[in-house]
Amino acid sequence: MRFPSLTALPDRMIRDRELLDQLIDPTARQRLPRDSRAFVRVDMSLRNYWHTLFDVCPDLLDMADPAGEQIFDGFMAWAAEQHLSMGWHFYLWVGRWLAQSPFQHQLTDALQEQLMAAAAARWAVLDRSPQVGVVLGRAASTGWVVGWKPNSLLAGRRVERIEVDSGLPSPEADLGLFYTNSFELDTFPGWQVLPK
Amino acid sequence: MQIGFNFTLGETTPMVQQLAREGAIDYVELLIDNFLHVPVAEMAAAFDVPVGFHIMFSRFIEVDDATLDTFAAQLKPFIDTLQPLYVSDHIAYFTHQGRALFHLGEIDYQADFERVRERILKWQALLGCQMHVENYPSIVDGSDDAPMFFERLMADTGCGTLFDLSNAVCAWRNGGPSLHAWREVMKQARHFHVSSYNTAFADDRVTVDSHDGLMAADTLAGLRAYRDLMDKPGATLTYERDENIHYDSVLEDLLKLREIYAEVPTCASLP
Repeated sequence: MRFPSLTALPDRMIRDRELLDQLIDPTARQRLPRDSRAFVRVDMSLRNYWHTLFDVCPDLLDMADPAGEQIFDGFMAWAAEQHLSMGWHFYLWVGRWLAQSPFQHQLTDALQEQLMAAAAARWAVLDRSPQVGVVLGRAASTGWVVGWKPNSLLAGRRVERIEVDSGLPSPEADLGLFYTNSFELDTFPGWQVLPK
Repeated sequence: MQIGFNFTLGETTPMVQQLAREGAIDYVELLIDNFLHVPVAEMAAAFDVPVGFHIMFSRFIEVDDATLDTFAAQLKPFIDTLQPLYVSDHIAYFTHQGRALFHLGEIDYQADFERVRERILKWQALLGCQMHVENYPSIVDGSDDAPMFFERLMADTGCGTLFDLSNAVCAWRNGGPSLHAWREVMKQARHFHVSSYNTAFADDRVTVDSHDGLMAADTLAGLRAYRDLMDKPGATLTYERDENIHYDSVLEDLLKLREIYAEVPTCASLP
């Protein structure tokens, strides 16, 4: 069955391009008529962000309301203000937002490392640069989280946590990162700041 | 018609190898940019059947030239060594004002034509091969312009269309162009996709491309109705499954495709 009667908007045609500003904005759900394809289109887009966050880090759902709206809507609004690119590192920015939010006291070391692992895994799957690994470090920890792109047909991406005890500096900020062009972690080029 | 299966994840390697070994598929479509750090020789040895390349994240319409040059340099050795049946990519927005879209945006087929035309020419030149670009499973309006867009793009750039019939069915169910409007595109295309669709969470009157289960009846009807336009020498049809990847279910759909494209006896072949 075909549903041409369900209009994109009740009063006029609307193209996807006109919705681009709203695809990442939770408040758009209130502005668009529920009985429209435009509403469904925006809802689908937002659900992708929601699932990308909470499916990978379900512990976040224990921090606030069960639907995660307090965290999701709060972070997305802040992300818009900060002009975040929502790249692979967006999990790390969620951690930064939590650290200055009403949920700051629930942000444990374990949750911080979950967010770091999620970011490293996303980089390993989505980054298309020639670099093969990303290393994430935290000022408050000697543990590094490393994400590796697949280098074998069967292996898939890998994320590992390693302890570093060789006098290497911690990042100056709360988090730092560097990339590697080799599948051997044999050089330390210094920490880079978190990209936006 | 050569029937293939999309290979996206390393963990499904044994299943895809089994499908090829048992003759359920004639070729494997590699989501090649997932494997750019796997040694080329390992990829070449992985399957005993030909391969096609599907690119997901080149973002060739919107990235800068240097980024595209670098990506092409990574991809070219795979093309040169594996000699794929085709190389394909996506016509869509991946970002908006610098922000990543987690559900890709549909281009404006009128306003964006020149930009896409220019980038296709650049991308084909860098890779040294024809690019086949996929149509979008439209949800809102504007997709009536899509068939003519792809016809113009093929004529102006020499690219091909990777015609995803189930994407076109999604668009049609959402008020877009009929399959009939795509006749000229189907006639010119040599490479095709098909998969399942589902309903949107917020409203089951909206159809979304899902790749998560068995093909729908109207998708199969579309394949039968336009078989004459699609089935031609060198043609490929890739069955896509990204969720619920279970051997029996995948095989069930592949056998339906085999049935649709079974050889029709001609007078010359009859005893």
